[in-house]
Amino acid sequence: MISLFYENLRISLAAVFANKTKSLLTALGIIIGVLSVTLMGTLISGLDRSFESSMSWLGKDILYVSRYEWFSEMEWWEVKNRPRIKSEYVDKIKNLSKHALAVSPVMQRGASLSYEDKETRTEIFGTNEEYMETISTDLDMGRFFSLSEDRNGSRVTIIGYGLKEAFFGFENPLGKHIKIDNIKFRVIGVLEKQGKFLGLFSVDNQAILPFGAYKRIFSKRGWMRLSVKVPEQKIEEGYDEITGIMRQIRGLKPSEKSDFAINQTKAFEAQYNTLKLAIGGTGYFITLLSLIVGSIGIMNIMFVTVKERTREIGIRKAIGATNGMILSQFLMEAVTICFFAGLIGLLSAYIISLFINQVFPSTLSLGLSLFSIFISMLVGILSGIIPAYKASKLDPIDALRYE
Amino acid sequence: MELIGLKDIYKIYNVGGEEVRALDGVDLKIDNNEYLAIMGPSGSGKSTMMNMIGCLDSPTSGLYEFEGEKVHIMDDSQLASIRNRKIGFVFQTFNLLPKASALHNVEIPLVYANIRKEKRLKMASDALTSVGLEDRMHHRPNELSGGQRQRVAIARALVNNPSIILADEPTGNLDSKSGHEIMKIFDELHRNGNTIILVTHEDDIAKHSNRVVQLLDGKIVKDEPVVKN
Repeated sequence: MISLFYENLRISLAAVFANKTKSLLTALGIIIGVLSVTLMGTLISGLDRSFESSMSWLGKDILYVSRYEWFSEMEWWEVKNRPRIKSEYVDKIKNLSKHALAVSPVMQRGASLSYEDKETRTEIFGTNEEYMETISTDLDMGRFFSLSEDRNGSRVTIIGYGLKEAFFGFENPLGKHIKIDNIKFRVIGVLEKQGKFLGLFSVDNQAILPFGAYKRIFSKRGWMRLSVKVPEQKIEEGYDEITGIMRQIRGLKPSEKSDFAINQTKAFEAQYNTLKLAIGGTGYFITLLSLIVGSIGIMNIMFVTVKERTREIGIRKAIGATNGMILSQFLMEAVTICFFAGLIGLLSAYIISLFINQVFPSTLSLGLSLFSIFISMLVGILSGIIPAYKASKLDPIDALRYE
Repeated sequence: MELIGLKDIYKIYNVGGEEVRALDGVDLKIDNNEYLAIMGPSGSGKSTMMNMIGCLDSPTSGLYEFEGEKVHIMDDSQLASIRNRKIGFVFQTFNLLPKASALHNVEIPLVYANIRKEKRLKMASDALTSVGLEDRMHHRPNELSGGQRQRVAIARALVNNPSIILADEPTGNLDSKSGHEIMKIFDELHRNGNTIILVTHEDDIAKHSNRVVQLLDGKIVKDEPVVKN
């Protein structure tokens, strides 16, 4: 039946290309459907990947002690009067906790950084010598600061990879002095390249300072959090223990609510899954809708085609086409329209994804591409089957007489 | 040798509650290499007769054997297959596919017969050559004259080496000169051993045949050989 297949393909291609505008309009619903399904899929897989890597920086074994819950639904006035997190907690937690492997205070603010004639604004972090254990990034070169450098307020800094590239290029940055808000700091280390957090903002431009120097020069007050590293398999016990220690530090009675928050990457995951569901749900709803509209369009045009070509059907039947052959011819025509619609949608999605990729990591996967072509051909079969069946059942005598 | 045997064929339609007997107990035998004309006024049942013989229609009752195959019990796809293999149609209105070239029009029955491409093209161009259209193969029907179109249709009817050629008013849409040429082709096909059944209401056309069957109100009223002078 290869001959018949080619004959059908030839008829279908001729029919599709004979009236390009009509075909294109007919196929618009399918094009939009495929466009939205592939873009959604691309977006979600991009989100997944960047989320996965971003989460690995945060670390599944870190508890973040802070004033605020991440993604809290609490009103601001409920949390604004909570006491600040203080750096003294670090030693108390270290003394009291069995699970804590490392405890770091982290303060953060914006600052102006410069080296020679180059200048940039970025985030600076003040922390202690255990900080490296609470992040998943390693040093690209140099070393981290020591406990004594922290204690005596040494003006040393570890800079992000992006900052190194911007300021020093291929020059060795170690031992060079950069200015942070016009105060000189000596570069002793460079963090390895990390990329963008959740694909949104780069963390490669940061500078890390010892807590001692940070407090003295910038601020004692200001927003602070603690990062507490616990063994990953003991994260729940760690959470309970740190909660207990914090309540003890704050002197809370059992009836009182905690006036601090202990955040985990889990919170991100829950938030992320909600977001993903929302994006995916909306996307697939749009897709489904446009595919339904599209398939009604295809069905309609196929009914018109069958009507217009009644006489042709009669001729073909008279010279020996069976019902099945006629059915396959019109089914093929519907599938062909949808195949090209899918291809156009896919191509548009690919081009759009190239643009999106400039701001957000997204690549159209082969699997998704094949899936979307499969879906559009399936729509072709579903919307073509009834008109094709109708064509196949035409009585040859009536069809031949049709004017 | 008997090719076609119709026995007690009835075709009854129900039009608006009224029974119409398009064929009313027809018996007919057609032998190999006959040149038969079916005649009759309009409404006499000759179109139904042609559709019946051409396996486009099934009888309400009666027996129809075509080269020993029982047509009256065949389903749609068996009928399609017998039309494809054994019957070549020539219609009054040519019934060519307007968007296909002459060659492709002639090729289509072979597609349905599942014959491979090279053989198909060879057979189709041979058939077109036999009707004198070897230099018009790639023309579309609208680029051909009426006579040429009907010759394409004859080539399409011939291409599968059918057992019968069934022509329904083949000259009805042609001027007398073209009509004459078409009839010459039928005469020649008959001389070469083909079985030809003409459906016509024109005596001039019927004179080309060897046997005339007259229909009236769904019944055969006359069946006699043509006296050639």
